[in-house]
Amino acid sequence: MRQSNIGWLFLAPATLILLVVGFIPFIYILYVGFFDWNTNAVDPTLRWAGLQNYRSLVFDTTFLNSLARTLVFAFFVVVSELLLGYVLARALMADRLWVRQFFRTIHTLPIVVAPIAVGATWRLLCVPGFGIVPYYLKQWFGIDYNISTNAYHAFATAIIMDLWHWTPFVTLSLMAGLTALPKEPLEQAQIDGGNKLQIFWYVIVPMLKPVLLTTVFIRLMDALRSVDEIWMLTKGGPAEATRFIGLHIWINVFPKTDYGYGAAMSLLTLYVTIVLSWLLFVAMTGRKGDAQ
Amino acid sequence: MAGVPLKKTGGFLPIRTNGFDRGFISVVILILVHLLWMRFLEGVLPLWVATGLCLALAVFIIRKG
Repeated sequence: MRQSNIGWLFLAPATLILLVVGFIPFIYILYVGFFDWNTNAVDPTLRWAGLQNYRSLVFDTTFLNSLARTLVFAFFVVVSELLLGYVLARALMADRLWVRQFFRTIHTLPIVVAPIAVGATWRLLCVPGFGIVPYYLKQWFGIDYNISTNAYHAFATAIIMDLWHWTPFVTLSLMAGLTALPKEPLEQAQIDGGNKLQIFWYVIVPMLKPVLLTTVFIRLMDALRSVDEIWMLTKGGPAEATRFIGLHIWINVFPKTDYGYGAAMSLLTLYVTIVLSWLLFVAMTGRKGDAQ
Repeated sequence: MAGVPLKKTGGFLPIRTNGFDRGFISVVILILVHLLWMRFLEGVLPLWVATGLCLALAVFIIRKG
């Protein structure tokens, strides 16, 4: 009993912090979502709106398009980073020691760069008439690459920029997971005559599942709330081609000061994120039927 | 959920669940149905019909899911 009390005592600071920075703001957002509150409106006070913000939301094609665009972006980014991260993790675990250490350091550098700086750098690289990317794509392949006018180019650049920034994180996570794998099951599978693909799919992936799950969760949640990089790269353009949900919410909440509607949008985005994460958790932990 | 025993699929849900899971699934469905109702059906049927249906479904999921 006394030990249990000490346990709660140790947990108290973390719980208190979570309550103050997590739970209370969530309740406040939930509260604001039921009000019409725009500090730039004729009446800047909170006015009860009931479900009106949510009612407007389901008819708001700009918001729904932003949400769909963000889901497509998150899908491409997470899948590509996972594949690329795994390949790089295996490559960086090769035996040539100095090469491994050198490339591991170089490869990890993008993680420490602030997202706003990443966006600014990629903007400089890709800006039409100035950046080296459009210049060499034109010179070498004859491609008229322009992120300011071509929606596909802007969208693809946003994905590549995110890959550049966050693949090292996936690589590091998977390297940690791969390094911690026990050797015996792998050797056993080899003795039993399993080929590389079979060993990967039936031995490595199941053992790596906790690491994969954590990595995918972190990357999925990050991808669904990309704002600063995209803002620096394209400002959500051309037209609305890269206006992802985080950016859309930011535009509504800050320049337009539409707090009630912004709160409703934030909550719906949170809902989508939680549902996606839960579905992923169920799919990856094999809680189907009676399978243990 | 770690530490909480999972029920085998005696219920109609295709996954092994505990009480928290079934409550969570009910809330997720409640929100989804309300949003879709507002988008497609509210002109014909009022929203409280959706609330009633979802609450009944929630009880069913939690007890039999």
